Amino acid sequence: MSTVASEPAAATASADRSVMELRDVRKTYPGPVEVLHGINLSIVVGERLAIVGPSGSGKSTMLHLMGTLDQPTTGQVLIDGVDVSSLSDRELSRFRARTLGFVFQQFYLLDGVSAVDNVANGLLYSGVSLAKRRALAAAGLERVGLGHRLHQPPAKLSGGERQRVAIARALLARPAIVLADEPTGSLDTQSGADVLALLRELNSDGTTVIVITHDPQVAAAMDRQVVIRDGVIVSDTTVGGG
Amino acid sequence: MASGRLSLTDTVRVGASGLLARPLRSVLSALGIAIGIAAVVSVLGISASSQAALIAQLDRLGTNLLQVQAGQTFGGTSSSLPLTAEPMIGRIGPVQTVSSVASLTANAFRNSYIPAGQTNGIQVKAARINLLDALAGSMAEGSFLTAATENYPVVVLGATTAQRLGFDHWISGSMVDIGGTQYAVAGIMQPMPLAPDIDRSALIGYPQAQNALGADGSATTVYVRTTPEQVDAVGSVLANTVNPANPNEVQVSQPSDALEARIATNDAFNSLFLGLGAVALLVGGVGIANVMVISVLERRSEIGLRRALGATRGNIRSQFLSEALLLAGAGGIAGVVLGMLITFGYSATRGTDLVVPLSAVAGGIAIALALGAIAGLYPAIRAARLAPTDALRSV
Repeated sequence: MSTVASEPAAATASADRSVMELRDVRKTYPGPVEVLHGINLSIVVGERLAIVGPSGSGKSTMLHLMGTLDQPTTGQVLIDGVDVSSLSDRELSRFRARTLGFVFQQFYLLDGVSAVDNVANGLLYSGVSLAKRRALAAAGLERVGLGHRLHQPPAKLSGGERQRVAIARALLARPAIVLADEPTGSLDTQSGADVLALLRELNSDGTTVIVITHDPQVAAAMDRQVVIRDGVIVSDTTVGGG
Repeated sequence: MASGRLSLTDTVRVGASGLLARPLRSVLSALGIAIGIAAVVSVLGISASSQAALIAQLDRLGTNLLQVQAGQTFGGTSSSLPLTAEPMIGRIGPVQTVSSVASLTANAFRNSYIPAGQTNGIQVKAARINLLDALAGSMAEGSFLTAATENYPVVVLGATTAQRLGFDHWISGSMVDIGGTQYAVAGIMQPMPLAPDIDRSALIGYPQAQNALGADGSATTVYVRTTPEQVDAVGSVLANTVNPANPNEVQVSQPSDALEARIATNDAFNSLFLGLGAVALLVGGVGIANVMVISVLERRSEIGLRRALGATRGNIRSQFLSEALLLAGAGGIAGVVLGMLITFGYSATRGTDLVVPLSAVAGGIAIALALGAIAGLYPAIRAARLAPTDALRSV
């Protein structure tokens, strides 16, 4: 398989620059329950990172904060040096459309829509014309090995194929950062390995990949592993190379 | 790249794909609107078609006809119009035509062998030769009384009279027995909507009535055509003109009032059916609101996904609003088509012209869209307010 994204937006940034930084991030839910107790984390352009922890450790909350889907109670989340708490709904939406790509455990594909149109939705909110979206989506599906499944509805695809469609969608806007929430959680071992291989490949062009998982084996596929437990980072190890 | 704002076609596409993903539910919820709009359009169409027929008839017959009849005396006995009535009315300025009939005591029979009691309810009347002009009537067959034939035993039959005497068609040389004398039938008239009693009459000339049947030459009913603008003014002076001594013994009426009353009756029925249509529309609107609320609950994860893909709150709001508008708009168009078909069926069976008011078509679709907007607004706002994390967590 060839490379997935050839020119990520952040590829031009210097290699040691933080693309994502969490500064003393705390998150409290009504109750009150503090889920994150002062997280400090800096992620460099082009890193392959896994955030590992058991359920209830606060890793999903971290994904939401890093994905600008939620705001920290205190502390700062900086993406490309921008404090996301200073942005309006419209600006945050534009940020998500251009800079962030999401991959979910449940895929979240639209049932009544073909694979190619599901992928094309990755640029729906970026002001790209339908014809161009579809052309890019067809090329994207080709790259994830689903060029022969363009017009199938999600219901006719296997779990692994669905997740590859979702990955193609996340990559369509060539985001600087891909956030994957348990991307292999609903897949069998072989499909999971394929998806992980795909995510690793993305990174060869400088896309930062952040995988959130409870599975140490998935985490082992990434270069850097941040272990989180009860809302605190307990270890941060970089294996390097990959 | 202008993000945050979807083009109109993209908004419609997103809305349509949401509806097409649940086709049966979409069709059923649009059906409520369709039935309501169809009811409104067909009621307006049917009434417009039948009113067009009535109004055309009224236009043809004119509303400028006044009818003067002898009423009752103050003591309660029936009076008669003075001999001078017609010439006096003729001197009123705006009066265009004056004609009259006089009821006679004789009866008309097909031949002299019919028992005298079987009158068939046919009245024999003396008529002026310009009666057809005054009543805007016409002949079905043959000709009306003329300056020549009014002096001789010649009769013209009303439409109903001809039927009752057994004349399917007028044949030259047909005879009718009136007062023991054979009268030649000159022709048969078309029905006269402004003077239905003429339909049940057999008309002979005034001179013949005076010579053969002992009539005194006074009229029982005078028909007066005026210039259309002066109808009310003429009507108010007619009684005093006809019988200056006892104006209260003269009855003045306007025969076209009866036709106008029929149009008004239609309007009353229309209000009833339009009310029913409005109820159907209301139910349809509630149906759409209901379906949209359920749809927002069911599609939380889709909303979350779209937010993750970069949809703004406004994008989500317009997506659900466009779904509601498409649903209602489709229902509205289907309803207009259905309503027009019903109107077409009605006018085809009744033989009236097909009239579907443009206002009903445009109004029907506009009402449907307005309902869709109202019904979709609350669910759309709810969908837009949903926090992305809540939306994604809910599976």
